Amino acid sequence: MDNLQELLHGFTIAVTVPHLVLMVVGVLLGILVGVLPGLGAPNGVSLLLPLTFGMQPVSAIILLSSMYWGALFGGSVTSILFNIPGEPSSVATTFDGYPMARDGRPTTALATAFGSAAFGALVGVILITFLASWVAQAALAFGPAEYFAVYFLAFASFVGMGGAAPIKTVVALALGFAIAAIGIDTVSGSVRLTMGVDELVKGVSFVVAVMGLFGIGELLVAVEEEFHARAVSSKIDWREVFRAVGRLPRHGVALLRSAAIGCWMGITPGGPTAASFMSYGIARRFSRRGRHFGTGEVEGIVSPETADHAAGTSALLPMLSLGIPGSATAAVMMGGLMIWGLNPGPMLFVDQKDFVWGLIASMYVGNIVAVALVLLTVPVFAALMRIPFVVIAPLIVIICVVGAYSVSNSYLDVVMMLGFGVVGYLFKKLFYPLAPLVLAIVIGDKAEDAFRQSMLISKGSLGIFFANKLVTCLIVGGIALLLLPLLLQLPRLWRKPASPATDAPVQERAII
Amino acid sequence: MISRRALELATAVLTGSFGVAVIVSSLDNGIGWSSAGVDAGTFPFLTGTIVVLGSLYNLVRGVLPAATLANVPIAITSIELRRLAGLFVPAAIFVAAIPLAGMYVASALYVFAVLAIPRHQSVPRALAMAGATALALYLVFERMFQVSLPHGALASALGF
Repeated sequence: MDNLQELLHGFTIAVTVPHLVLMVVGVLLGILVGVLPGLGAPNGVSLLLPLTFGMQPVSAIILLSSMYWGALFGGSVTSILFNIPGEPSSVATTFDGYPMARDGRPTTALATAFGSAAFGALVGVILITFLASWVAQAALAFGPAEYFAVYFLAFASFVGMGGAAPIKTVVALALGFAIAAIGIDTVSGSVRLTMGVDELVKGVSFVVAVMGLFGIGELLVAVEEEFHARAVSSKIDWREVFRAVGRLPRHGVALLRSAAIGCWMGITPGGPTAASFMSYGIARRFSRRGRHFGTGEVEGIVSPETADHAAGTSALLPMLSLGIPGSATAAVMMGGLMIWGLNPGPMLFVDQKDFVWGLIASMYVGNIVAVALVLLTVPVFAALMRIPFVVIAPLIVIICVVGAYSVSNSYLDVVMMLGFGVVGYLFKKLFYPLAPLVLAIVIGDKAEDAFRQSMLISKGSLGIFFANKLVTCLIVGGIALLLLPLLLQLPRLWRKPASPATDAPVQERAII
Repeated sequence: MISRRALELATAVLTGSFGVAVIVSSLDNGIGWSSAGVDAGTFPFLTGTIVVLGSLYNLVRGVLPAATLANVPIAITSIELRRLAGLFVPAAIFVAAIPLAGMYVASALYVFAVLAIPRHQSVPRALAMAGATALALYLVFERMFQVSLPHGALASALGF
């Protein structure tokens, strides 16, 4: 019951005029970056980050998280109306959303998507409300060894469940750690990995990496495909909206299953993209109308959308209670928390009650605001998509350049951003996952500190990671997740010795 | 035309050489155990090693004629390559021009060049968009958020 009281207190913080205005602004900006290809939630949030330094942390996080909700919804709009996913996590929505819209039911497709997305988000927020403080409570007793074990588990789960080629995930993670280590070492004070460039002493900001990897990289992928925005009608028929939402409970099983998949993938950092693909795949396998999937099936929209939003929302749970972000955008927000002087992790629930519960309450309100705004603004943002890509692309380049520069007024950052853009393009093209790379850049130093502190405590013995039940379980779980891809390969080898993995391209599609 | 294999190789070499650079550079900080605990170079050394080993694996996977790669022999066609260059080359020139021309002039020139030279827009419209971009940048950053963007060597030589 304590949680409910705290939540009510949170509502008194979240539901104030300035915060509601911030939510509206955040959601609208979020839909904008969600709709525009090349700009996504991670860049959008990092672009806004420098503008929040003067704000109260709770106001800042409400603005940023609302932007996240807006971006999640905005990505679905273009998926359904234009067959162009505005966000990687809404790729799976195009499979059935666009066919349905093309068949003359755009309102039904949009309303179904938003309705199930709102349901997914709601499940995610309820989970956070009841679970986050409990997890934080448990984490208060954690020492450095336990922390390192949790980080290890989080990174291992990317390898085991992220859906990308495991070794490519490992490389992406390790690259992130190395990039995080550039600059002054917080423990010893010595300068590391600057390769003779003095300006690198300040380190590489995750904002610079995000701008390049997700901004320029995505833009390059988009320009290569040269999509044609052949839009279906974007007029909203309000009566059909309510009818479509009213029909949703018929797909109760799909809703609940997808929400569960989403929450699981959000908390164990698998991310919304993997969640939506997994949910779509499972729905196609288990639905009675499975073979109709791909032709505008309602469940084909419900499943990825619910999972996408459930994962996006619940990704904030580990960020708040453990200091481990569950998605790339959550990682950027956590970077923000650290810049505002807050220490993400269990102490937030003790020291910063207003912040935590204000944020959680704002997630309920923000998602309602997002659903209402996205429905109202569909025609406006659909019109935006008719602006030719050649006009939008240079503007996005300029936004990324300015965004990278304004982090610390450094020209080197701009050049590095462009370099990250090339890396982002190559990685996307070759199915290296980007989210673990960003996550490792943001929390690499914390993971390293935890490792070194535990080594100091144990005087250099790795035995500390098996000193008690909890830490042993976490480490063993992490190792199991690391080995999971190998174990999954074994039965296949058994059946057909030396047969090449022919279904790999299908898997690869799943992580675009 | 660039084959998937060549792209895989190039990326693996890229990540691998970064890994090698990390390893070499971390040796300066010392790896292993000293009186102050784990040395500063240890963690980067480990990550660098993982990057190198992983890159080697990806390199070998990229070279071997595995069925997964044979399905998509061509990663980037020449038309796609031209489109990529059409976006990236002007962007790189834009970034290179910033120290000299400053953010405002460089971005205006950039917008004008990409719109007017391939004749996507008429010259007056491209001029208007270029001007609007620079003005919007100035208003939002210099005025609203008091973030000073680089004015460039040219502007400072002229006394701005």
